[in-house]
Amino acid sequence: MRKILLTTFLLLTFLFPQTQDESNEIHIEEINNHHNDGHGSMVNNLSENTTKAASIQNQSSTSEIIDAYLQLKNALTEDNEEKAAEAGNAILTAFSNFNISQLTEDQHKEYVEIVENAKEQAEHIVKSPIDHQREHFEVLSTDIKDLIALLGIETGTTLYETFCSMYNNHTGAMWLSETEEIKNPFYGSKMLTCGKVQKQIN
Amino acid sequence: MKVFKKIGLFLLIVFVCIQFIPTNRNQSTEILDTDITKTFKVPQNIQTLLNESCYDCHSNNTKYHWYDKIQPASLFVERHINEGKKELNFSEFGAYSNRKQKSKLKFLISQVKDDKMPISSYALIHSNAKLSESEKKEIIDWATTLRDNLK
Repeated sequence: MRKILLTTFLLLTFLFPQTQDESNEIHIEEINNHHNDGHGSMVNNLSENTTKAASIQNQSSTSEIIDAYLQLKNALTEDNEEKAAEAGNAILTAFSNFNISQLTEDQHKEYVEIVENAKEQAEHIVKSPIDHQREHFEVLSTDIKDLIALLGIETGTTLYETFCSMYNNHTGAMWLSETEEIKNPFYGSKMLTCGKVQKQIN
Repeated sequence: MKVFKKIGLFLLIVFVCIQFIPTNRNQSTEILDTDITKTFKVPQNIQTLLNESCYDCHSNNTKYHWYDKIQPASLFVERHINEGKKELNFSEFGAYSNRKQKSKLKFLISQVKDDKMPISSYALIHSNAKLSESEKKEIIDWATTLRDNLK
């Protein structure tokens, strides 16, 4: 009888780690929030050339985001689910490294809206099979395109807005590429060269 | 025989003890202003489908059955609800940005189309939640129109 009760008690304690994991998750989120608050308190010392200087400074910051996005894009062209998941994490890191304190109020509002959505896509990409990664990549591509329209990119960088008309039951989908050479991230090796450059950025 | 009796008793004790694990109930009587039905035009047939097939995990009000309240089922249910609401909450849809609404509708369409939602374990137990082919088409058509209008 005593043995039964003891074993029962020991086993029950193993049921609780589940709730502990949840509290760990919350803890991590709080650290991230705290991290972001630290950036918010930085004082903006720029003079009248604020918009210009700020945008140049932010252009270097969007570089990390764009690099991570291209890393993801290339992983998908290679049908590499694992590399794509890593790139998803790189995107999340790039967002958390981004300095939002130098954005204007209008830019800030739109930035937050774009990034909230983009982060969700990246979070899914980190933990999904490749077909689902590609669905989220489609949404993410639009978010990144809008982010670039808002904040610009580093001078000297060129991106190509490329369109694949077949994806999504012929509704089509867009991606951004660092090269004009067509390598389709939505289909990978199945249809690598399907796509057309529609616009050059920078 | 004695061994089986001991195992049986052990399992019974475990079963009784785990009923004391605290769980949160996802229940709310009010329909928020941010509910999708208050933000957009949602025809009655679609409202019914959403209520029966989606709202238990994707809203602030779950219709609990007696079996949902017994452990360990209760823990699984709570996890599904938390994850579901985090992904998509129809009760708060109106508060989403335009961008997020479009994104959520896109995935609603593809998940229903691919039979990923409602999830099979849920549909198995709640047979009225399972969507027929025509019901899927109704939801997909409605969501597609809504999403196109958001552009």
